[in-house]
Amino acid sequence: MPAYYLEVIVVVLGLTLLLVEAFVPLGDRRSLAWLAALGIGVVLCLSFLVSTPEQAEETGRFSALYATDGLALFYKRIALLTTLLVLLMSADYRKILHQYTDPERPQSQAGLGEFFTLPVFACAGLMWMASATDLISIFVSLEAVTMTFYVLVAFMRRNVGSLEAGVKYLILGALSTGFLVYGITWLYGITGQTELSAISEVLKEGAVSKTAALFAFALILVALGFKVGAVPFQFWIPDVYQGAPTPITAFLSVGSKAAGFVVLLRVSEPFIASELISSNVITILTVVAGATLVYGNLAAIPQNNFKRLLAFSSISHAGFLLMALASTPAGGAISQFSISPVSAISFYLAAYLFMTLLAFLVMTLVRTQRGGESIDSFRGLAKTSPFLALTLLIAMMSLAGVPLTAGFIGKFYVFLLAVNQHHYWLVALGVVGAAAGFYYYLKVVRAMYWEAPEDTSAPAIEVSMPTKIALILLIVAVFIFGLDPAPLML
Amino acid sequence: MMEQLPWLILLLPLVSAATILFVARRVPNISALLSTGSALVTFVMSILFLGFGDDAVVPAYPWLWLGGTLEKGLVLEIGLQIDQLSRGMMFVVTTVGFLVHVFSLGYMRTDDGKARYFAGLSLFMFSMTGIVLANNFAMMFVFWELVGLSSYLLIGHWFQKDSAADAAKKAFITNRVGDFGFLIGILLVWAISQTVNFDRMETFFAGNPEVGSGLLAFAVICVFCGAVGKSAQLPLHVWLPDAMEGPTPVSALIHAATMVAAGVYMLARVAFLVEASELAAHVIAWVGGITALVAALMALQQDDIKRVLAYSTLSQLGYMVMAVGLLAAEAAMFHLFTHAFFKALLFLGSGSVIYACHHEQDIWKMGGLRKKMPLTFITFSIATLSLMALPWVTAGFYSKEAILAAAWHESAPLFVIAGFTAMLTAFYMTRLVLVTFFGKARTEHAAHAKESPPVMTLPLILLAIPSVIAGLPFFYERVQATAPEHHGEGSMLVLAASVITLIAGAGISFWLYKGASEDPLRIKLLARKFYIDEIYQGIIRVFQDGVATLLSIFDRYIIDGLIAQLPAYATASIGSILRRLQVGNLQGYAFLFALGVILLIWITLFNT
Repeated sequence: MPAYYLEVIVVVLGLTLLLVEAFVPLGDRRSLAWLAALGIGVVLCLSFLVSTPEQAEETGRFSALYATDGLALFYKRIALLTTLLVLLMSADYRKILHQYTDPERPQSQAGLGEFFTLPVFACAGLMWMASATDLISIFVSLEAVTMTFYVLVAFMRRNVGSLEAGVKYLILGALSTGFLVYGITWLYGITGQTELSAISEVLKEGAVSKTAALFAFALILVALGFKVGAVPFQFWIPDVYQGAPTPITAFLSVGSKAAGFVVLLRVSEPFIASELISSNVITILTVVAGATLVYGNLAAIPQNNFKRLLAFSSISHAGFLLMALASTPAGGAISQFSISPVSAISFYLAAYLFMTLLAFLVMTLVRTQRGGESIDSFRGLAKTSPFLALTLLIAMMSLAGVPLTAGFIGKFYVFLLAVNQHHYWLVALGVVGAAAGFYYYLKVVRAMYWEAPEDTSAPAIEVSMPTKIALILLIVAVFIFGLDPAPLML
Repeated sequence: MMEQLPWLILLLPLVSAATILFVARRVPNISALLSTGSALVTFVMSILFLGFGDDAVVPAYPWLWLGGTLEKGLVLEIGLQIDQLSRGMMFVVTTVGFLVHVFSLGYMRTDDGKARYFAGLSLFMFSMTGIVLANNFAMMFVFWELVGLSSYLLIGHWFQKDSAADAAKKAFITNRVGDFGFLIGILLVWAISQTVNFDRMETFFAGNPEVGSGLLAFAVICVFCGAVGKSAQLPLHVWLPDAMEGPTPVSALIHAATMVAAGVYMLARVAFLVEASELAAHVIAWVGGITALVAALMALQQDDIKRVLAYSTLSQLGYMVMAVGLLAAEAAMFHLFTHAFFKALLFLGSGSVIYACHHEQDIWKMGGLRKKMPLTFITFSIATLSLMALPWVTAGFYSKEAILAAAWHESAPLFVIAGFTAMLTAFYMTRLVLVTFFGKARTEHAAHAKESPPVMTLPLILLAIPSVIAGLPFFYERVQATAPEHHGEGSMLVLAASVITLIAGAGISFWLYKGASEDPLRIKLLARKFYIDEIYQGIIRVFQDGVATLLSIFDRYIIDGLIAQLPAYATASIGSILRRLQVGNLQGYAFLFALGVILLIWITLFNT
């Protein structure tokens, strides 16, 4: 089965869901979310049946536009898994959503259908991004995703925070898109190509203006830096993450970031492989990585709102990921003593998916049933809901990078790469950042385990069966891949 | 199937431990049977295992890839090494392990924490198997620590008692000191040879005999630190006597026969490293010799039946370590092999006595048990004779001879120490048997003692067999690759020395303790174990108080004052600056965004 069938199936699934919503009378529209999650789960299983590039008979233009390598498949699976979990979260989030969409009519389910369907379309876009190897298809797939997110971020239209977040994301996103197009234009102007493989050839020959090539790279880095939350293009992240509905924040923070990184990996590869400019490209990546590490970790320290804390944490993880990218050996040759940055980044993102979604799943439950997102809302959670507290504890330990968790292995590989490339300043910043991480991640653990609950009579938080299964599977994943990372290594 | 057998041996106890922990915890009897069943199966498998040829290759599983290749670099594998050494050791571990499981069924029958106890035993069997079968240092270290954990759990089984909880802590912390050195040693050896795999390491050192002598000696001594901790050699021996707070079967299995021997096993596994460094070999031999002597002296004046045996274990482990240092690793393994059986028997016998006397452990409150507990008495005596090395008819004789012969060939002073220690051994064991089993019953409990139930005496009988025959060639040749030769030059002298020391030690002891109702010897220095525990306490107190004061000053002024206050202030101010940036004002964001773009382009184009 060719790989692009997967995207086709996902799009058809989205359309079907819309039709079902319109024509089938549903008592509880949350079944739509479960249906969607089921469909995505089936596609995730199908992704293991996809034929390898050797088996596929692809010819002509299409194979240049669309990669079917292991990397693409890996990120397609990340997109699918993220969407699946986001859909489960969305179903749990119905109550809050309802408060801000149609508060006058308590029984109304207006808008729920779209809220459950749009992530499916976004998923198709994310999957396409994973395969895009041509500047045009990169641009189109990226925009397809971003458009969906504009809507989703502002979905709670009676909530000022959500609306404000939507507007900010829209305007800053449009700004960054402008830079992307401008960069693509320059790159096309220099090389006369839009296919990345062809661009790589031209850049390797070195018969281009160095300044122009670097300028193009800087412009593209602006746009992709915006996507992944790299300093100095991170300003939108705290506000948008905090304002958006929690499941959408999770989606942005995992799906969008992972897709941003696969594009960044693909686009930066020709530049790093070119001897003419690779050292400059590495330098700028190092500077951005260092700044992101410092900003993400330091600014996270004083946060009291858990959602905002996770926003800064997402910036800090972008810093670690960029650190791995900046540790690509100049010329792109991987020595036999090192692992490749691509596999390190991919593993890190997969680990990041498990632990971040674990945290967001718990947060969604606490938000809907305790009504708050500040760290204070988590006080005494260990007494009232020990399972959720333990889950969040595991997520936080993995995010901080405690050994035996997937988060530790991810960080370990990043540091290994940086040390091998002698980026000692970056290593130092990374160490400081990781240490700061222990402080701010464990703050919520302290609240859960060592502080008395605000309201001792509060009932235990209910966890629906699908969510419970998802939580347990994610915990297992955090530990399994923390013990043996090999199956997730590209 | 046969290829996967070693994996099964490794994983079965883990499955049993996990099942008990997660499923069967509430049904203690099923837990006990589950654990004993898994021990039986591994026992049978390890006998099958003896039939494996040396060419049996077990596929290794690459675990963590940290750069480089298998040959050169750091790739951590989970792999099993199947050779004569590991097969023999597996036989010891599973035999003693299985019998101790059976014995525990009786000894722990009414214990409240029975399920927990058997889960701990299974965890221990898993960890110990891991050490024995590991084909590389990294994996061995992981299981080394797991063994430490299970030992901690089992010593502290009766954690309600402060003494047991303290002893568990002491064992764990003392071992940490040794393990710290061990880890450094492993890293240094890796730095020298670029591999942690034993086979490749051996090839490397065979191919590069002149490699960094000073560093290598240091590395080997660091590795030896691990053995010092685990095998309780001076100066880290203090935990083992205290570990007797654990249930007696645990003492027999872990603190006599198997875990404490892990240090010796590890040294035998890397015997090529010891051979590569003469200096390290000397250090190892002398540490072993001194431990053997000092521990035997301490054993002379102990009144607790288990503590006498504990110091005796220390002393025998000292023999083995000494043999490794004298480059006679086969002799060390041979003694480990025989010692495991008769020392486990001694401990289980003492367990039987303690059980019969209602958990009384003071030998002066026993006496006259010979008639009331004939089976225990006979088997205990057999083991005692084996430990005292009665010539020709006991297993201990052959293995001790091998070590004495090695000492005779290599170092005269160590030979004298070993000979003197043999005399002390005969002395304190004769004392132990006389006071416990002969004379009159000195307390009510002793007077009404009854023989233990068959589930406890059966393991004693089964262990008595190898205590006698394990030294004979037809038995040990199946588990031991090379028979340690002791029929060389001077063997008559060695034989004469061991006979004379045996007669002298036993004779003096018999003369002193025959019919004694209280100890005619009062040597406080020995009874108080040379005050080593007190000295450590003192050092730790002074050191800890000093360091604590220092740290408190450091903490208050440097950490709190400079490092915490300053960045806290800095963070707060940065935070407020950032907060001013994060005003939520869209125009502001767009402006900063543009500023960032300009900065980025400037750095890219003009500053690289």
